[in-house]
Amino acid sequence: MRFGLRHITAFVAMMFGLAAACQMPKSPGELAWAIRYDPKTFDPAKVDEQASEEVRFLTGGVLIRLNRKTQQPEPELAASWTVAPDGRMISFRLRSGLRFSDGSPLTSKDVVWSLRRVLDPATAAPVADEFLTAQEVKVEAPDALTIKVHLPKRVIGIENVFDEIAIEPAERPSEGKVTSGPFTVVDYKRGQYVRLGRNANYWRRDTAGAKLPYLTGIRLDVLNNREREISSFQRGEYDLIDGLPPDYFGLLQKKNPSAVLDLGASLNTEEMWFNQASSAPLPDYEKAWFQNRAFRVAVSQAIHRADLARIAYAGHATPAYDFVSPANRVWHNDGLRFPHEDVAAAAQLLAGAGFHRNESLLVDAGGHVVKFSILTNAGNAARMKIATLIQQDLAAIGMQVTVVALDFPALIERLMHKQDYEACLLGLSNVEPDPNTQMNVWLSSSPNHQWNPSEKTPATPWEAQIDKLMQEQGTTLLQKNRKLAFDQVQQIVADQQPFIYLVYPNTLYALSPSLVGVQPSVFQPGLIWNIANVRRQGTK
Amino acid sequence: MKTAAQICWRLGRTLVLLALVAVGTILLMRFAPGYFSDSREMDAKYAQREQTELHQEEATSGTFAQLAKSTFGGWLHGDLGSSRQYGVPVTELVGPRLHVTVMLLLRGLVFGWALAVCTAFPVSLWRNGQTLAGMPFTLLLAIPTGAMATLCLLADMGGPVLVLSLLLAARDFKFLQRVFQSAWTAPHLLQARAQGMRFHRLAVAHLLPNVVPHILGLATLSIVTALSAIVPIEVIFNVPGLGQLAWSAAMNRDLPVLLTITLLMAAAVSCAGMIAPRERMVQTA
Amino acid sequence: MKRRVSVVVLALMVAAACVIVRLPGASYSAQNREAIMLGATTHYWAGTDDVGRDRGVRVAAAVLLGLGGAAAAAAVTTAIAAGIGTLAGFSTPGLASALMLASDLFLSLPWLFLLMMVRSFLPLTTSPLHSAVVTFTILAALGWPACARAVYRGTLNLRSSEWMIQGRASGLRQTQLMRRHVLPHLLPLLIPQFLICVPAFIVAEANLGTLGLGVAPPLPSWGAMLLELDNSASLATSHWVYLPVVVLVLVLLLLESLTVEV
Repeated sequence: MRFGLRHITAFVAMMFGLAAACQMPKSPGELAWAIRYDPKTFDPAKVDEQASEEVRFLTGGVLIRLNRKTQQPEPELAASWTVAPDGRMISFRLRSGLRFSDGSPLTSKDVVWSLRRVLDPATAAPVADEFLTAQEVKVEAPDALTIKVHLPKRVIGIENVFDEIAIEPAERPSEGKVTSGPFTVVDYKRGQYVRLGRNANYWRRDTAGAKLPYLTGIRLDVLNNREREISSFQRGEYDLIDGLPPDYFGLLQKKNPSAVLDLGASLNTEEMWFNQASSAPLPDYEKAWFQNRAFRVAVSQAIHRADLARIAYAGHATPAYDFVSPANRVWHNDGLRFPHEDVAAAAQLLAGAGFHRNESLLVDAGGHVVKFSILTNAGNAARMKIATLIQQDLAAIGMQVTVVALDFPALIERLMHKQDYEACLLGLSNVEPDPNTQMNVWLSSSPNHQWNPSEKTPATPWEAQIDKLMQEQGTTLLQKNRKLAFDQVQQIVADQQPFIYLVYPNTLYALSPSLVGVQPSVFQPGLIWNIANVRRQGTK
Repeated sequence: MKTAAQICWRLGRTLVLLALVAVGTILLMRFAPGYFSDSREMDAKYAQREQTELHQEEATSGTFAQLAKSTFGGWLHGDLGSSRQYGVPVTELVGPRLHVTVMLLLRGLVFGWALAVCTAFPVSLWRNGQTLAGMPFTLLLAIPTGAMATLCLLADMGGPVLVLSLLLAARDFKFLQRVFQSAWTAPHLLQARAQGMRFHRLAVAHLLPNVVPHILGLATLSIVTALSAIVPIEVIFNVPGLGQLAWSAAMNRDLPVLLTITLLMAAAVSCAGMIAPRERMVQTA
Repeated sequence: MKRRVSVVVLALMVAAACVIVRLPGASYSAQNREAIMLGATTHYWAGTDDVGRDRGVRVAAAVLLGLGGAAAAAAVTTAIAAGIGTLAGFSTPGLASALMLASDLFLSLPWLFLLMMVRSFLPLTTSPLHSAVVTFTILAALGWPACARAVYRGTLNLRSSEWMIQGRASGLRQTQLMRRHVLPHLLPLLIPQFLICVPAFIVAEANLGTLGLGVAPPLPSWGAMLLELDNSASLATSHWVYLPVVVLVLVLLLLESLTVEV
């Protein structure tokens, strides 16, 4: 066998020819960005995770859209609506001349059919739960442009629920292919991309009368690799990154300062909590530690949150003491009293609770060395740094901490099914600001009541108090009274520290400077909530 | 007659292996932590629904016996089952990706081996500086796949085939270098060189026959290394192949999909093991 | 001569690492939060990492831990492969094919789940050192199949060579033949396997960190430092992030030159 120059060049060319992964070229009117994983469904009624929610947001036409900047509901397919004084009837008035993307007219018949489908228990639509008693809700259409929805039970903030119900052609659900929103699903290759095309029959026009959306299409690449996403963004292949990790923020900022945005604290929190379940497979003395308020408050006071924000998030986070972020202006308790960082006070609290120091170790009244593990999920670099920093902070008050990072399913099994853990460090993602969406976290009977799930009766008086206050804010009519009740819940949590809140990660976005019309917001989906008004500079 | 018997025996062996692998995979995945857990349980909005679904699944097909019965029963009807994370038939997921992975493997193996042989042969001719000559490959062994991928991205050059070839070449080089070296210093070769035989004839007539059995033996090792390297490479480079699917199936506890891919890989390993050179005496003098 | 030099250099490296770790005031876990991601300074000769720990001390400790663990695990795994391969080569065809079937089975099973099970049996408060020992033991137990078949083939080839026949004719027992005559001929196969396993195990240990095994913080993990190189943001911060790679390449070259004359 002779290897001539011909063979060698062919060899090299083939090697490099198989180089970059196949990425489809983009047309100028098209936008592209990455989603972490495939949408599990394209049926708007069955959406139950983030990727399919994003596709539904871009394609589904809704009656009412929440303006993420002003936090007020705005008319979308419904030109106007009225809510009865007792909150048990909503009447919508549709715009005239509405059409679906395939040209067929959109009337109240389609709205009624879509609503009934969502409310039908056979569909098992997650959004139906927000109606509280979905089977008893009645929908009727007196004429082609009016829809009346009768609710057996008043639902606070019912308008926001209609932001999540897509109107589809009656009797013809198409899984996103025929829609009344700005885009339609044109192509889907599993594991690769979802392609959306412009809906030429979208109702909205801009101030000059031109038809919206400006964009001709959107491509959502299924990509779970940060490095590739960042390098594709730098090459201009992706136009935006939602949820930019803090260490890449610095990297992109150096190259192109106008392409990155830090909007300040997001609604999300990073927190740590101890296992207070009495059925947990832990020794009794450990349960006694975790159920002791002084222990929890001491841990909270020993952690240097400013360091966590500065080091683990490269400064792109805000120290947190409350589960409601200051970005949630409506519901944040501005007058909250919380335990400040004070290592000496923490040591005093522990001494008062019967713990004493034995050289560098902390020992409880029964002679047991205070040693516990913090469980967290693998794959989150910032969280691992937080765990390492907390390890040192707690060593200063004598506590020995081991950090265990598990993969998500194993973590959830320990947390929610077996309660086989001592402390856990995780983040909570809050998409909606309204307290009603957090009922499941604070009601003691709920399986998501993380520190002591599914309690038959509240284990402590303060948990009973929280139950009462949360029910109160869920049923009171006056916003003022709701805020009062919810402020009290925040105060109880700050006093008792069942969750030890650490930081609010900042909202970090990367946005191509060539885009016009984007109004970034901390509320999801922060960059694309007004996608119909977004266009690239130089195109029309 | 003998070949027919051999083929029957090899086929039988492969089937036994596949059955054992299937049982082992079901056991391992079912009893590993997290089989009946889903990340949506942590989202207060969807948690209730998710938990009811999982409890139902556990009640109807939770035990090993039930899983084994539904799996093997399905196979007998030609049904490979339905993906637990996507809800679509496994054939629909695996089919399009098989081609991608096989091509990536073949290209990686061919280029990797070519690189390894072309460098090991000249290096083995040198008498000193063997270790330093092999330094680039030592460097390749020391850099993890992820770092190589990032370097490729930063240099905007190369892709999954390049990384897979380099990975395989680095490993093969270490073996081949010694094989060539020991073959080159065999006494009969020294004598032939002393007698003035030309290099060309030496290599073809005396070196190659001694080296080929070792190379074929190493081929198995190489194929096995390539199969295990496929998963991280496809995940990092986002290649829509079987490795990426296997990783997401493992992380999401998708038993039918992972089982199918594991059996495909077991079949490949079994076939690789059957690359049997004729047993021949090692020529010494 | 060359071998002696390599041994001396390797010993010096290990000694230097021990000294660095034991210096007064040196700690691999103490975080200096005002000195994040520093370059080389008078106090920190290799700079600090992303939470302010002394990188030089961490790399030294990681080298000791990783070298000890990975080298031991690689040696054990190569020994198991050699044992099973030669056993298969010298036994009846039935036993040999059963052993090779077991080897293929071991190769094909998804051991990821066994590792998760191991983690769930270990108490959560297992010390980082114990966790590291368990990890390397598991790696040693799972790494042998790939090489076993190649060893088996090699043994089969050698079994029919003339000097082997003469050895048997002279009355040497099977075990003596295996130990004194076959194994030395298999070294060109076993030594590269060992050399490849060392870095592979170092990285594998770090990958097992995603399952809760591996070396847990605050102990430094050599593999984790290598895996950090896949993040372009950290590559852009300081050149000292390449120190673990450089040390690993050096160690591998030294190990290789120890064995090159065999």
